[in-house]
Amino acid sequence: MPALTRERDVREAYAAHSGELYGFAVRSLGDAGLAEEAVQETFLRAWKAGERYDPEIGSLRTWLFAILRNVVIDMGRARASRPRVGPETGIEPSVEPLEQALLAWQVEEAMRRIGEDHRRVLLETHFKARPYAEVAEEMGVPEGTIKSRVYYGLKALRVALEEMGYDD
Amino acid sequence: MTTDDHRDWRLSLGAYALGDLPPEERAALAAHIEGCPECRAELRELEGVAALLPLADPARIEQPAVRPPAELGARIEAQIAAEASRERGAKRRRRLRLGLGGAVAVAAVAAVLAIVVLPVGGESSPAQQVKFASVPNGVTIKATLEPHAFGTEIKMYVDGVSSGTLCRVFLRDAAGKTFSAGSFRYRWGEDSEAELSSALDLSQATEIGIHAGGRTFVAPVNPATALVGGAEIDPA
Repeated sequence: MPALTRERDVREAYAAHSGELYGFAVRSLGDAGLAEEAVQETFLRAWKAGERYDPEIGSLRTWLFAILRNVVIDMGRARASRPRVGPETGIEPSVEPLEQALLAWQVEEAMRRIGEDHRRVLLETHFKARPYAEVAEEMGVPEGTIKSRVYYGLKALRVALEEMGYDD
Repeated sequence: MTTDDHRDWRLSLGAYALGDLPPEERAALAAHIEGCPECRAELRELEGVAALLPLADPARIEQPAVRPPAELGARIEAQIAAEASRERGAKRRRRLRLGLGGAVAVAAVAAVLAIVVLPVGGESSPAQQVKFASVPNGVTIKATLEPHAFGTEIKMYVDGVSSGTLCRVFLRDAAGKTFSAGSFRYRWGEDSEAELSSALDLSQATEIGIHAGGRTFVAPVNPATALVGGAEIDPA
């Protein structure tokens, strides 16, 4: 897909990426209606700027997420009713929390994508801070298995994150 | 260190990266990592992922992934289709404006030439539009002739002949003498006039001819059909 200028290209891009974009939009906007609006605006902007998309520079997915991020920032700006310091000096919303939200969403999405056994073990041992022995007993496996599931779970998580464009 | 030992240690790297190992096991693994480049490299990767885990909200992980409503795709397509047709319309309008702008510019240049040049040439014949009547069906040949000090400026409009056809244009005076006005090639899709010139003074010209596709078409240059000004002459 050299560019996103044809309406058919947009349809393909939507089929491939709308789920993730929508998931992140819901995560960061906290509202399904706003998320729909954001995704719609994202694809409209992508189509309008379609000639500028260069697959040599980055994946279509990364490009769409970059547009969505801007859309979400713009929507936040439009929604925010901030006190104004001067006549033309609106306070810019910080981009940082949104970058963080994107990363958080990616980790959550990656966690959903790894195998059930690995996810379960990471949730119980890490997020709920339960002892390995206790989780092992509950799951009816040796403690060593819990340890190796943590290992393979982290590795799978890394692969899932890389698939989503995460690059440390 | 045996291969089996290494494999066992390796499986503990995840728990190590997350800081879950009891102290004595952690110390023993740290000693192994110290002497094992393979485990060191792997630990770096795992620590990168482990550092991201605190960002995630476990409650959200356990929620099923949200999906956009089924009709969102259709809505986006409809909006883009509407924008596309609006843009096509805007482009057409832009082209139209450009076309008109061009015509106005040509008219302006012609007007300047008329003012500057005519007094020098001392000619006062107005521009004339000539339509060739005896042409095959579907073929249109029109010419606009304007007097100048150097002779006659001819704008030739041809339509309906094969693309690439060579067209040679000439003027003829009352004595039957031919004055070349040059040649051009007609191209399909190019809706413009060829701009030519002949040394014969318009006031002396009695005929204009065009030789195209092995045939010659001639039309009289008749002061009775002259259009004053010439600015309103539009081949369309």
